[in-house]
Amino acid sequence: MLKNSFLFLALVQISWAEKHIDFNTDIRPILSDKCFFCHGPDSHEREADLRLDIPDGKDGAFSDLGGYAAIVPGKSEDSEFILRINDKDDPMPPEKSHKSLKPAEIKLLTRWIAEGAKYSAPWAYTPPVKNSVPKIDQTDWPENWIDRFVLHKLGTEGLKPSPDADPITLIRRLYFDLTGLPPTPQEVDAFVSGKKSLEKVVDELLASPHFGERMAMYWLDLVRYADTVGYHGDQDHNISPYRDYVIRAFNKNLPFDQFTREQLAGDLLKNPGKWQKVASGYNRLLQTTHEGGLQKKEYDAIYAADRVRNVSAVWMGATVGCAQCHDHKYDPYTIKDHYAMAAFFSDLHDTGFDGNSLPTSRPPEMKFYSDEDETKFARIEEEMGALIGGEEVLNTLKKDAEIAKLKANKKRKPADDKKLAQLEKSFEQIVSSSKKDKWAKLLTEKKAIEKGGRWTMITSAKPHRKMRILPRGNWQDDSGPVVTAAVPEFLGKVSTAKHATRLDLANWLTDPKNGSGGLTARVFANRFWYLYFGSGISRSLSDFGGQGEPPSNGPLLDNLAVAFYESGWDVKALVRLLVTSRAYRQSSLCPPELMERDPYNQLFARQSRYRLPAEVIRDNALALSQLLIDDLGGSSAKPYQPTGYYRHLNFPTRKYKHHTDPKQWRRGVYVHWQRQFLHPMLKAMDAPSREECTAERPRSNTPTAALVLLNDPTFIEAARALAYRIMKEGDAATNSRLDFAYQLVLSRLPDDEEHAVITGLLKTTYEDYQKNPKSAETVLGVGQAPKPGDVDATELASWTAVARALLNLNETITRN
Amino acid sequence: MIDQTRRTFLGQTGLSVGSAALASLLSDQANAAPLNSLPHFAAKAKRVIFLCMSGGPSHLETFDYKTQLDKLNGKAMPTSFTEGQPIAQLQGQKLKVQGHLTKFNKYGQSGQVISDFLPHIAKLADDIAIVRSMVTEQINHDPAHTFMNTGTAISGRPSMGSWITYGLGSETQDLPGFVVLTSVGGRNPQPIASRQWSAGFLPSRHQGVEFNSAGDPVHYVSNPKGISSAQQSALVEAIKKLDRKRNKLVVNPEIDTRIAAYEMAFRMQTSVPGLMDISTEPQRVLDLYGAKPGDGSYASNCLLARRLAERGVRFIQLYHRGWDHHGGLEKYMGICCGLTDRPTWALLTDLKERGMLEDTLVIWGGEFGRTPMFQGKGGAGRDHHIKGFSMWMAGGGVKGGTSYGETDELGYNAVKDVVHVRDLHATMLHQLGLQHDRFSYPFQGLDMKLTGVEKAKVIKGILS
Repeated sequence: MLKNSFLFLALVQISWAEKHIDFNTDIRPILSDKCFFCHGPDSHEREADLRLDIPDGKDGAFSDLGGYAAIVPGKSEDSEFILRINDKDDPMPPEKSHKSLKPAEIKLLTRWIAEGAKYSAPWAYTPPVKNSVPKIDQTDWPENWIDRFVLHKLGTEGLKPSPDADPITLIRRLYFDLTGLPPTPQEVDAFVSGKKSLEKVVDELLASPHFGERMAMYWLDLVRYADTVGYHGDQDHNISPYRDYVIRAFNKNLPFDQFTREQLAGDLLKNPGKWQKVASGYNRLLQTTHEGGLQKKEYDAIYAADRVRNVSAVWMGATVGCAQCHDHKYDPYTIKDHYAMAAFFSDLHDTGFDGNSLPTSRPPEMKFYSDEDETKFARIEEEMGALIGGEEVLNTLKKDAEIAKLKANKKRKPADDKKLAQLEKSFEQIVSSSKKDKWAKLLTEKKAIEKGGRWTMITSAKPHRKMRILPRGNWQDDSGPVVTAAVPEFLGKVSTAKHATRLDLANWLTDPKNGSGGLTARVFANRFWYLYFGSGISRSLSDFGGQGEPPSNGPLLDNLAVAFYESGWDVKALVRLLVTSRAYRQSSLCPPELMERDPYNQLFARQSRYRLPAEVIRDNALALSQLLIDDLGGSSAKPYQPTGYYRHLNFPTRKYKHHTDPKQWRRGVYVHWQRQFLHPMLKAMDAPSREECTAERPRSNTPTAALVLLNDPTFIEAARALAYRIMKEGDAATNSRLDFAYQLVLSRLPDDEEHAVITGLLKTTYEDYQKNPKSAETVLGVGQAPKPGDVDATELASWTAVARALLNLNETITRN
Repeated sequence: MIDQTRRTFLGQTGLSVGSAALASLLSDQANAAPLNSLPHFAAKAKRVIFLCMSGGPSHLETFDYKTQLDKLNGKAMPTSFTEGQPIAQLQGQKLKVQGHLTKFNKYGQSGQVISDFLPHIAKLADDIAIVRSMVTEQINHDPAHTFMNTGTAISGRPSMGSWITYGLGSETQDLPGFVVLTSVGGRNPQPIASRQWSAGFLPSRHQGVEFNSAGDPVHYVSNPKGISSAQQSALVEAIKKLDRKRNKLVVNPEIDTRIAAYEMAFRMQTSVPGLMDISTEPQRVLDLYGAKPGDGSYASNCLLARRLAERGVRFIQLYHRGWDHHGGLEKYMGICCGLTDRPTWALLTDLKERGMLEDTLVIWGGEFGRTPMFQGKGGAGRDHHIKGFSMWMAGGGVKGGTSYGETDELGYNAVKDVVHVRDLHATMLHQLGLQHDRFSYPFQGLDMKLTGVEKAKVIKGILS
């Protein structure tokens, strides 16, 4: 069976060979993988002055090598290239490269040359253009233009779309995709009964504040947001307001180009506001070190390279980081491009990072207050102003503070006493005794809010540091030429008379006309598609280069990209377009034939099914148990964690204290992200350490993850809270409780078989606890949620087992 | 079986599945089986025990004796050595030579030179091959560890243990293929990140699993409080039944894998505590190592390493974290060696007695060495040093009694038969039957290798 499926794949490949050959889809991947290492863009590694990545020019594949040429279009038999790849004694690629060509590949290359050896520019670096929407026969299927592209593609592949998913699956899919939270039974009902249309549901979910949280989960992976520095002592650093910014930006539907500008260059905007400064914390998200004995120059180089890797991966889907030591092996990025990109960020001076305090101080930072706090400040100051009438509030506050400071000083000198008396006198003139109490009250209120302020790292431009090309990436080598900020040469230029800035870079990245905005739009259209279909149209979400995979449906991706920037970079509009398509609605069931035909779901003849992201698995359990605190934003939360998990941390040593207040039950997106020791639950469910850009998380299915869901106190506590709900809200009879539980957790009723399994579990557990009532009390003591006094402990502990079973089901943690 | 294969297929959509990875789809047990084409040739070693002396033990107080160093003791360090060289905590300071802080002797028939700090390892002189010409590229602990474990200082790359279990699979169904144990003692220990046993871009089941000596031996491996084994078993059975029932309807291969994962998780709940309980060992064996059940010492970890090796774990990594001797070197060497010397000897002796040393490759060493120059943070010490240091290997086809490579007259630069970290990796892979330059995984368009892009060589001179 299995062997057959491979045979089948092989057959599919051969059948492709009979079709029209497209350079980017069929030929470039082979040449890139097997030939470009020595005959590609990297001039240092180039052999025999021959490039196979371009046809023309001195070193191009068609150039005259003295009476012969590597590739003679239309004449494979005259092409040296073909002779060499067929040469049994001295084959190309050489045996020692372990890159030998397969017979099918040789056949394809031969045919390509025979048919004229048509080259085309790398697909990703050709700006997207709007293609006409294809004509299709099955006109009753499409909901919007996306569907016409999908259907057309399926037609050419001899496939049909899957039927629509049942409405329960669909509503669950929408909730998890757009908010990361489960729908309530009432919300399911409203949709299934037809009372609420899909469009209405989508509008509501896009307007929900939880939409921003769900999007932030993805964005924070891309930009490698974490609560700790990452290297060596892995100390906490101040950055959580940046996370609030991201959530807010998605909720407010900040246009993506502005979102880009604020993060890369918030500090360079005209009169940047609070949120723009916070956004500029993007430049500070990289891993940094406090290790004693670090060599500053070395770390300047490390940080510069880190920023280039991230900005190019996030916005360009490019691996410019590969050009740190040499020209890129597969793409036209030169080592100069790498350092010129780094020079955009050379106005950041990463200094003053010493000491091992917690949190550590990493200037520049600013004190951040939420919008609500700022409103309160304004009100308090207004009231203060009204109280003291006419006098300046700020000056008075200053005086008050000085008085307090002097009073606190136990070793006052006579001069101090004199000053104190003067100040008090002048203060009393403004705040007379009748006003004193009110003033003090307002001041206390103000101070309480100030205490809740958070520091956050920001960017503030300094004079640009000199940036040199480091030969072979060696930071000790000063022989390389000095470069100034520039975008990769083959992609154009940023035109400015002065040293180009981060703002220029941000503008260039989002300018479809004069910059690489088309590329950026394509990179993100692909990633949004991945978020709602489980796989990108191009599977390589962060490598659009020669070694990445070309899109399975190029015209569709192009049109999405153009639609994205033409809408004014409207993220919510793009998401709405995707999730209201018919393609999105398809069932994710996958018959074996389709699995064999399209194992990676590249043609989208079905929806995808996969385990929920780590944070959502947590959120789902907390939501179902009603433990969830769904406040928006704030400092990071610390859930229960195994004792001693941080014992390997030092400078300083760390003792983890989980939150004992309701912060314990905050959403996964707010969980403290310790780079070196990510919470074991998040880690087991494939959340990344966020040391580097992650555009796609792996989806594993391991015993470690099973142990988490079975035994992590967070899930035990959630199970007992859920059990309590089942007992209280599900009436008294076991049957109605079970129905309630299934509807709550899975949005459906149990069938007879499920009913039997669950009641069996309930019975054996109950009998066990009857014999050991103390154990029942013990299990109900897991976690800090109050133990309810109004239900029987043995019964509640037994229903806790049922709740655990439900929270562990594959169906519960799967997006279908 | 077919379903499991499909699961892997789907489960890896996040990664480029190249031919090597594709081969793993053909394996019977995704968790345990080697890649199809591996090993490349007959292996000398079946498993590795890597004794990681974290912090960077001084080669000049362990294996590298230089008469000239004592002669120049207290004199200015000749600038010909240090000019333009990377330097850590001694940046901007006056550099002077620090003579050996202990004595050396010749041991065994091979006459290998070993310091007085290591009287037990000295007894193994004819069993170990000492490499005195190691070099690395990273001078600070965190990146140097990352470099030693992954071959690069860039985060996110797989560690050697992950590479090896990815290539060769595991020989156990009840335990992970790659296990990490840690112990402390010595100078204020260096922090160590879980990045050091990360699977990087390899499938996450190849990630190292840390076994803890206190609390749960593995996170969440114990039943929750108030839940008996019988209840837990009933629960797991119910989950499996319900998943299986659902799968009849939705036919999702992922569910079969999940059922298998729950079965293994449940097995681990019994097997791991049993494995970690060394009190079942005869007193004679406990005495050999100097291990006390439950003390979390390096000695206990050495004994656990043998137990893990017996049970088929492929890569076992022990960290002892106290070797960063910027000052008080004599005192702290005394502590570190006191804690590790005898257990290391016991481990090799025990393996030998059981006939396991011949197919177990044991590697001892830190992430770098220490300077010939004096540093004085609380008594004489030495700073980080990357241009020359010592490591040793034993078992698994290594020729015992071998001295390989040399540093210069002051123990600064490796000058003869220089061994780079990637050469160490290449040699380790070679002993496991893996050809380093053919052992790759496609990631970000590159064929990634543990040994990286620079040329690496197998250290033939230490192999039998």
